[in-house]
Amino acid sequence: MDPINFNFLCSEPAMPNGRSVGIIGAGPSGLAATGYLSCLGYQIEVYDKLPKPGGLMLFGIPGYRIPKLRIDLGTRQLERMAGVTFHTHTKICCSGPLHDEEGDHFCREILGFGDMIKKHDAIMICTGSWRSRRLEIPGENLPGVFSGLEFLFPIRAVKYNAPNVKLPDIAGKKVAVIGAGHSAVDAAHNAIHLGAAKVLHLYRRTIKECPCGTFEIEQLQAMGVEWVEKATPLRILGEEQVEGMEVSFSTPDGPQTKILDVDVIVAAIGETATPPFAKELGLENVRKGEVRWLHMTDIENVFVAGDALTGPSKIGKAIYSGLRAARSLANWLDLKAQNRLDAYDYNDLVANEEGFRRQS
Amino acid sequence: MSDQKTLYIDYSLCIGCETCEYVCRFANDTSRIHMSRTVDGVMVPLYCRHCENPKCANACTRGALKRDKDGAMILQPMLCRGCQTRNCILACPYSAMFETGKGVMVAKCDLCAQRRQVGMGPACVEMCPCGAIKYVDRDEIPKLETEKSRQAYEKVMEHLKFPGK
Repeated sequence: MDPINFNFLCSEPAMPNGRSVGIIGAGPSGLAATGYLSCLGYQIEVYDKLPKPGGLMLFGIPGYRIPKLRIDLGTRQLERMAGVTFHTHTKICCSGPLHDEEGDHFCREILGFGDMIKKHDAIMICTGSWRSRRLEIPGENLPGVFSGLEFLFPIRAVKYNAPNVKLPDIAGKKVAVIGAGHSAVDAAHNAIHLGAAKVLHLYRRTIKECPCGTFEIEQLQAMGVEWVEKATPLRILGEEQVEGMEVSFSTPDGPQTKILDVDVIVAAIGETATPPFAKELGLENVRKGEVRWLHMTDIENVFVAGDALTGPSKIGKAIYSGLRAARSLANWLDLKAQNRLDAYDYNDLVANEEGFRRQS
Repeated sequence: MSDQKTLYIDYSLCIGCETCEYVCRFANDTSRIHMSRTVDGVMVPLYCRHCENPKCANACTRGALKRDKDGAMILQPMLCRGCQTRNCILACPYSAMFETGKGVMVAKCDLCAQRRQVGMGPACVEMCPCGAIKYVDRDEIPKLETEKSRQAYEKVMEHLKFPGK
């Protein structure tokens, strides 16, 4: 298998240019930025909390969709051909308490952000979207309720011998999966493989509107997953743990409520961005598109890209955002070195581009 | 050997992540490959096959579409410029000619012509996380096909076909 070629912009290794850039996060946007900048001769160091570079391409999306080998070979090529240094198991400290997000269990080293800014000529934050969206209904904090990532991440991560990572225990249980994106499909698949007695798959709209498409749902049905559409969870029942879920069904005669007998609930309804130091860096403003700088934060040599900037998206957008931010970073450093920062294009906002306008 | 290079996408491997589209956009400003999907959820990157008998070139009255030395069908902006018929867009059975709304108004894949000149391959092929896009001799395609890829291809062509045909 050929490696994914993050250095696709150059045909051979570049001459070192003497500058060093630290990239926080080794997912699609971080690796795209790494590929771009190493093609220009930058010395790149990449920091990631997980045991391997690749981010959710390895730890979120199942191997039958993205071949792990292709990503592994690609990051190895970055190391060997482009001289990139990867610091895995490393978290850059930290806006929230540790063990706040999935994947924090792997951290062996915590580095301070202030030291990073001094060590490198510039920093790029590509930390992605790891915090799961909540159902915002009563009972969702009961044991037995998982987000999509909480449920799926340990299943991928358990191979890497991390402490405190264990498979969700659902053998013989009745599982309800909520949502109809690919994460929900993967969760339903895994629930079957882990020996669930029954898997219900709930979606608030109909099969025709599923983001994952009808084909995936039909395949799940063939595996024995029960498809339940036009269903909105109202509250989760139980004292010590999940004992059931009250659900509202939309019918031609108006909404009807029903209680479903389930003991595990997986709410695969999406993630939100988790940029570190959002306030200090003024990221809240960047994301609203109010700050003039492309991918640039309130600290002048700190840039941000990917899902950490724009919220959850597809790999392609994250890669594009990483490339654009890397180009902007290189421009900024070049102009700064020549004392010509007034020529820097502060209006070159990716947020102005088609497909990147904020939804809300 | 036909000595004609083209792209081959195995639709059964594509997850619709849009990496090809955005890498193309970064490399070429305007993307020449676009993600779409069938109603039943097969992801469909619309892309140029650099056909052996190219309907776009046959439809173009100005001779603006020409095959280059590697077999890529190339759009020559100097001849295309100013044409308003969009004959090429209408003629393409794969919906792989794109209206851009700026400049020459039409964009199409040239198998990364500028990259090929300096010894590199098409950018989308390099960066597809799934390895679903291959840069191949046309003759090699049958060897790459699988039962799954053929099934996905049938679904895609059903979706792309002009209604009623």
